[in-house]
Amino acid sequence: MSQSTGSHAETQPASPAVTVSNVTKQYQLGGTVTALDGVSLSLPEGSYTAVMGPSGSGKSTLLNLIGGLDTPDTGQVSVGGTRLDDADGATRADVRGTDIGFVFQTFDLLPRLTALQNVALPLTFADWGRADRRDRAATLLDEVGLGDRLDHRPPELSGGQRQRVAIARALAADPSIVLADEPTGNVDTETGGEVLSLLDDLHEAGNTVLLVTHARRVAERAQQIVHVRDGVIEGVERLADDAPELSTTDDTTPVGGDD
Amino acid sequence: MDLRETLRIAVRSIRAHNLRSALTVLGVVVGIGSVIVFATFGASVQAAVVSEIGQTSANSIFLTPASVEDGGEGGPPGAGIADATRPVFTGRDVTALGEIDGVETVVPQGTVRLSGVSHAGDTVAQRQAIGTTPAAFGTDDIVDGRAFESGAEEVVVNEAARTAFEQNLSVDDTVTLTLADGDRRNATVVGVADGTRGGLLSQFGPGGPQLYLPSEPFYQTSVEGTTDGVRVKAYPQVTVVADPSQTGTVAGAVRAYVPSSDAATLLPAEQTVGVQTTGEIVGQIQEILGQLTRFVTGIAVLSLVVGAIGIANITLVSVTERTREIGIMKAVGAQNRDVMQLFLTESALLGTGGALLGIPVGLVVAFGATRFAEVGFTLALDWMAFAVVVGIAVGVGAGLYPAWRAARVDPIEALRQE
Repeated sequence: MSQSTGSHAETQPASPAVTVSNVTKQYQLGGTVTALDGVSLSLPEGSYTAVMGPSGSGKSTLLNLIGGLDTPDTGQVSVGGTRLDDADGATRADVRGTDIGFVFQTFDLLPRLTALQNVALPLTFADWGRADRRDRAATLLDEVGLGDRLDHRPPELSGGQRQRVAIARALAADPSIVLADEPTGNVDTETGGEVLSLLDDLHEAGNTVLLVTHARRVAERAQQIVHVRDGVIEGVERLADDAPELSTTDDTTPVGGDD
Repeated sequence: MDLRETLRIAVRSIRAHNLRSALTVLGVVVGIGSVIVFATFGASVQAAVVSEIGQTSANSIFLTPASVEDGGEGGPPGAGIADATRPVFTGRDVTALGEIDGVETVVPQGTVRLSGVSHAGDTVAQRQAIGTTPAAFGTDDIVDGRAFESGAEEVVVNEAARTAFEQNLSVDDTVTLTLADGDRRNATVVGVADGTRGGLLSQFGPGGPQLYLPSEPFYQTSVEGTTDGVRVKAYPQVTVVADPSQTGTVAGAVRAYVPSSDAATLLPAEQTVGVQTTGEIVGQIQEILGQLTRFVTGIAVLSLVVGAIGIANITLVSVTERTREIGIMKAVGAQNRDVMQLFLTESALLGTGGALLGIPVGLVVAFGATRFAEVGFTLALDWMAFAVVVGIAVGVGAGLYPAWRAARVDPIEALRQE
């Protein structure tokens, strides 16, 4: 498949959508737990990357840092050109709203809002006008195949439909990166396949996608897999011929899957 | 985020818990409602009392014995009633007051002690009648017949007295007065006065039966005079009716005369002559009723505090229940202030809803209370505005802490929560 389309093609070799350099993060949980220990990673625009690792490997922490939900103890994190490691809460909230699209394992839609309102929610916080929000949300829902479900609330939708609403919401503000955290964890295999196809489509449409999972079957949909274990990057596994070179702290030979 | 969207989301969350929200609002309704009830009822009573006094004697100046502590004025009218009934105003005083510029008439007034009044074989116990002069009755005061004439064996009754007997009194009937000393005197009913007439002491409370007699020949209370030990007739109260345009100057002249009056000489050292205009009395009554209203309304504010605690409680519960939602909103770009705004709007809506519902509820109950107390219904507009402002303030105030907690929710923690 082609690496990217549209405007993203012209930015090759692009400034990376996400840069993580030499990041460490420790938690105090009875003792000091090092979640990330000097991790560097850069994701080119338009790339589709999976982060794999067992629980406790630090992959969720990495996701939280890239998603602007958390800040590292040391090191730098940039998303869409904005430094997040030394940004205040308001700036990070801004970036979360405009440069980052989250897709959660449990969908995490607001149950009392309609599909349309859920998709428009990031735009609401980004102060878009009401009509613009609705147009944008309707277009996105149509694109994920829910054009006839605009006014349904999450409880009235199936798991797969909910996840598609969540993906539409992630795309609402045209983010620099879509972060998908175990997006197939809560749906059956068939629906999971649909969701993954949707992520493939996102990638093909030029979006940068970072998928976090512990399932190799899921991770294999990406161009490359970044293996994380014990707070360090163990290796990068290139799956597609067109997979971009990732600069990481990893200097070992690429490893096979461990899942 | 824009206010309309905030409102929309807040309304949606309130409606997601209809019963819970309704009960919370009910707490505020009770609070605001009681404030409105007491404030409105207080204002109604105040307006009723003031208008009654104002109507009967707008330009009157009342002279009564008063305690020195009262400064001769000030203090609630009727305070020290025992003092105020001491007969000290002599005929010389009445004449002197009548000669002041701008005085239309001077009405001395005293109590004629009775033991009963009979009409057509039916006797009612009536302890006193008012002995005064024909000038006590203005043209509007007599609703039937005429005022009595001085020196005649005539009586004016009020409407309550008219119906006190088995057979209603009418003009030209004769009543038999049994005086306190046992003497019986006949008097012809010549007029019916509306309400309860006459001076400072008889203006308050519901109008009971009252009889008005000409002081000559019925009122005979006398004191030992100032000069030669001769007993002279004296009254405990004098009402100076001034030309309405000169009430102020007349009051000043009356005050200037008082130190040289017989009354001042006759009174013991610890008493002085109190001079009060209608305006001053109305002001004092207004102040007393106002204080009373504020006091009772203040107690009602307590229930408003309880309502506020209800809002704070339910908003805290809501924040706890929706921690995950808060996490989601923050993950998709909500600022702390957006989250705060959402929860504050929610609690403010509960408070405002309570206020808006509490006002009509309070007004209806207050209306019922005024009907029961037989006073006119007067809106306390300032208190209604106060109630709305307080309702919103209560909502916002009670929501502040929960909303602050919501704003500080850590999205990572929140999203980890089930």
